[in-house]
Amino acid sequence: MNKISIPIGPQHPLIKEPLSMKIDISGERVLGGSLRLGYVHRGIERLAQTRNYVKNVYLIERVCGICSHIHTTTYCHAVEALLDIIIPPRAYYLRALMCELERIHSHLLWLGILAKHVGLDTIFMHTWHDRELALDIMEEITGGRVLHGANQVGGVRFDLDKTHDAMIRSTVQKLKTQVEGLVDVIENEPALIARTKGVAPVSAEMIRKYCVVGPVARASGVDVDMRRDNPLPPYDQLEFSVVTHPDGDAWARTVVRAEETHESLNLCERILSDLPDGPVSTRVPRNVPAGEVIIRSEAPRGELFYYLRSDGTDKPARLKIRTPTIPALCLLPEQMSAIQVADIPVVMAGVDLCVACADR
Amino acid sequence: MIEGYFYLLLFPGLVFQVICGLAFEWLDRKLLALFQRRVGPPWYQPLADMIKLFSKEDILPKGTNDLIASLLPLISLCSVLTAGLYVPIAGFSPYSFEGDLIVILFLMSVPTLAYYLAGIVSIGIYSVLGGGRSLLQYFSFEVPYLIALSGPAVMGGSWSVAGIMASQFTLGPFILFQPLGFILAIVGLIGKLKRDPLDIPSAKSEVVGGSLTEFTGLKIALWHLVMNVQAVVGIFLLINLYLGWTKLANPIIAIIVFIVEFLIITGMLSAASAVFARLRIDQLAGVGWKILVPLALAQLAFVILMGV
Repeated sequence: MNKISIPIGPQHPLIKEPLSMKIDISGERVLGGSLRLGYVHRGIERLAQTRNYVKNVYLIERVCGICSHIHTTTYCHAVEALLDIIIPPRAYYLRALMCELERIHSHLLWLGILAKHVGLDTIFMHTWHDRELALDIMEEITGGRVLHGANQVGGVRFDLDKTHDAMIRSTVQKLKTQVEGLVDVIENEPALIARTKGVAPVSAEMIRKYCVVGPVARASGVDVDMRRDNPLPPYDQLEFSVVTHPDGDAWARTVVRAEETHESLNLCERILSDLPDGPVSTRVPRNVPAGEVIIRSEAPRGELFYYLRSDGTDKPARLKIRTPTIPALCLLPEQMSAIQVADIPVVMAGVDLCVACADR
Repeated sequence: MIEGYFYLLLFPGLVFQVICGLAFEWLDRKLLALFQRRVGPPWYQPLADMIKLFSKEDILPKGTNDLIASLLPLISLCSVLTAGLYVPIAGFSPYSFEGDLIVILFLMSVPTLAYYLAGIVSIGIYSVLGGGRSLLQYFSFEVPYLIALSGPAVMGGSWSVAGIMASQFTLGPFILFQPLGFILAIVGLIGKLKRDPLDIPSAKSEVVGGSLTEFTGLKIALWHLVMNVQAVVGIFLLINLYLGWTKLANPIIAIIVFIVEFLIITGMLSAASAVFARLRIDQLAGVGWKILVPLALAQLAFVILMGV
């Protein structure tokens, strides 16, 4: 059969964000693929150099629409490290609570997208329905569903009271039952298993070679998690387990993400019971002393890396953001061989792309 | 003369089948929405969609043969409407003759071939891929479908749908003897209609819109109508072949029973699309030839042995 090349993107029903992939196929077999990026490049790193540290929080939140909170958290940690201040412990815990909620809603979103790509629209509708519960909590405590505006340099901009505590606990409990039901369906649905098991498995060596992080790495048996390996406060105080799976295929990624959602729900409850009293923010000077810092944190998609250099003024001299999607994108063309056309959505969904993060 | 026009245009012809097709689409979407915890569309949504599509600009890629591209949905619509004329509705069939089952099955497979040609005619990578997939899928489900549908014909001793239905009046509904055949026929119908979970030729995340990617406006509206009328005719056929309770003494009861059976089969189709994931084309071919065909043959052998 002749080789033809089909374009996936920049506009395609498969991907909601602009990303272009040219895939060579012969009949139903996929021969290879190449990637083109940069459709949503907004120059955020450069823009950050023209705005002061306080205004940058607003900008950084807009790097990504799904994991907006972890970006501002990492940025604030970086600025606070340069300032050499310790913020009130309650603020650390509240940040972590938001991070975990974000992980829950990001993973549920991903599960829905995978289900939609294999034609299981019912699971898509149900996961996105459940995801609203996590978004409801975020809206209730910060005022924003997607962009929360929760962080500031020196602390957080919201606080919990008694009613919030009860509301979050009951909603998390509800989510737990829903997620357990979902995991049950996912692990026992024969058609879903047939579509994901053994599709484009990635070995641990491959993961290390491409420096892939996060759930994709953990699904290939590479045990990395920044929350445990290089914890920002308060994760050094919290107990949790890191989920790994040896298989490395789309099925393993599904299982890992589903289990992680469950683990994050447990973590939310733990954060609520350990929540210390006290203020939620502290005053910080406008000018940041000269120096440079690297902060690594665990975003829903894996390790997030921030490099920040200050020259002593109120504006950063350089801000470098490396998001977990970039190595996952590099791995994508590698996976586009020895699969079928029908597996393309599964493979592309499997790495959980966030193109806005990658392009910045 | 007047009677003939009435049959062709009003009942059981064009108007009745189009109304049934739109009602089927609404019912299916509403049921699917209920399965998925959504609200679903209001009752006039399919009609509104069609009117809106009629008013849209009709464009095709440069180099497409516009005449063929316009004829394909029309021919498909004519075939399914003609097939619908021969299927008895609540026991009423003006044009029934010996062997009309074969004509119906032939006319019902015209849209699949037209769908394939539509993919080839409208120049586009996704269209060609979708067209090729529709033929591959056709070969996987059509054989078990035909074998399954020959079960009632053998049992009823007739190749006329009305005759098969009449024989169920004495023998009892054939679903009692051929439950397996009924399920296989439903699977075949889903494949024929390219509905979820057998929507491989038009899987959005894989081939965008399949053969119909490049179609717009009036033509895509006609294609949607073809699928809906085809679904209705397919369901009517299944009711007549397997659920022969329709030939009752009282015509009002017969009509009510017919409507209830129609609703039940529609519910089965909606449930199937809500519950199952889409298979890969190689998996479908495997399921079709390794599982469905032997099952259909076993069902047919059972029917033949029962007759002996």
